[in-house]
Formats: sequence, C-alpha cells, structure tokens
Amino acid sequence: MNGKKSFGGGGRGKTSSNQQGKDGQRRPMFRRRKVCKFCADKIDDINYKDVRMLMPFVPERAKVLPRRISGTCALHQRKLRTAIMRARQLALIPYTTE
Amino acid sequence: MSRKYELVYVVSPEASDEQVADLHKQVEAIVQRIGGSIEKTDNWGRRKLAYEIGRHKEGTYVVEVIDGGGELMKEIDRRLKVTDLVIRHLIVRVDEEQGVVERTRARRTESSRRRRVARGLPPDRQPGEGQRGEVDDDRDDRFDMGEELR
Repeated sequence: MNGKKSFGGGGRGKTSSNQQGKDGQRRPMFRRRKVCKFCADKIDDINYKDVRMLMPFVPERAKVLPRRISGTCALHQRKLRTAIMRARQLALIPYTTE
Repeated sequence: MSRKYELVYVVSPEASDEQVADLHKQVEAIVQRIGGSIEKTDNWGRRKLAYEIGRHKEGTYVVEVIDGGGELMKEIDRRLKVTDLVIRHLIVRVDEEQGVVERTRARRTESSRRRRVARGLPPDRQPGEGQRGEVDDDRDDRFDMGEELR
C-alpha cells in the first residue's frame, strides 16, 4: 500500500485506501443537485447573438463548459453548443485564449 | 414557401459609415432583384473582435433578417464572399427554429393554465401571487436528501 502511494497516484489513492473503506459510506460528499439553467429560467431560444448569456458557459480557456459541471440538460447543451460555434465564427466569442 | 434567414456580417473597421450604408443598399438590391424582403436591419456599431481576423481587431456588425428563398441567400453569400470590406459573415435559417420555440412556449403556458384550473385557480397568474415556485422547490429538496442517503 505504501509503495503504491509513493507512485504519483496522488490524493486519490490515499482516499481509496484510508477513507472510503469506512468513512466514505457514512459521510458522502454533499453535492447540490444541479439544474439546467435554461430549463429553470424557461429560456427556449439559445441565441448566438446574445453573448452575455453564452459567456458563463465559456470559461477561461474558451472551451465549452461540460455538462457535468454546468448541469445543463442534453437538449440545451446541444443548442448551446451550436450557439457558441456560431458566435465563434463571428468573433463574438474566442476559439482559444493564447 | 418563404423562408426566413438571419444574415450577420462584420465590416472592416476601416470602412466609413457611408460604405457600411452602401453595403446595406447592395444587399437590399439583391434581395429586391431576386424577390424577397428585408424584415429588419440592426446595426450594432463597432465592436471589439474576440480574436484577430487578418489584422483587424474590431469590426462593425450588421444584422439583417431576410424573408426569401435559398437561391437568394446563395447569391448574397457569394457576393459577400467576394466583397473585401466584409471580413466575416454568417447566414442562418431561423424560421423553423422560431416555430419550435413558439410551440414550446404555447404548450407550456397552456399546460400551466390547465394545472391552475385543476387547482381551482384562475387560469392566469394574479399580480399578488408571489410564492408559486415553493411547491417545486420542496420537491427538489426531497430529491437532494434521497441522494444524500444513497
């Protein structure tokens, strides 16, 4: 076990061997349930011209924020993606940063 | 059958206001020649580009909503491609998308009205009602707990 730990498995190996055995099940990490922003706010039309709306889904590196982080539903993520791609073509949103 | 398109073009920052207006007239001329109509024109003015195009750092954005056929848009696309003053353009068909949006919106108001009537309320929201969202929120909380227990 110790040998494993010294090989850059990092924090992950440590948790699996020490904590998750007993503590992990008793106290799972509390996670807020994510809700799709577009469903919640009833935004039907994800428009490529509305940069203000798209920007929160384009983090620093100018990639599209993944669904597992934003919590967007599949339908809206797909629409969001097309909108971002269109906005990129018009230089409203960057493709990359440096 | 008429379709609706959205055309956005970015004009080089060196272009004067007259040149931008001239470009708009050119587009209008093509639209009239082939048969169609411009529904709306919107000039966003000068904007910073998110990245450099050629050596330009900013550009003038013009949005036009055009009613017309595919042939018309093809011609406009061709003309904009050869126009040096236009550094970027995009044509998107919007009528189908708009129809979908309208339908979902109509369906949603319809179903919410039906639910309200079933609860013995007037079909439309009254101005004084503030706490309507609470029921939904409660259910969400219970969901949270369920996940916690797992």
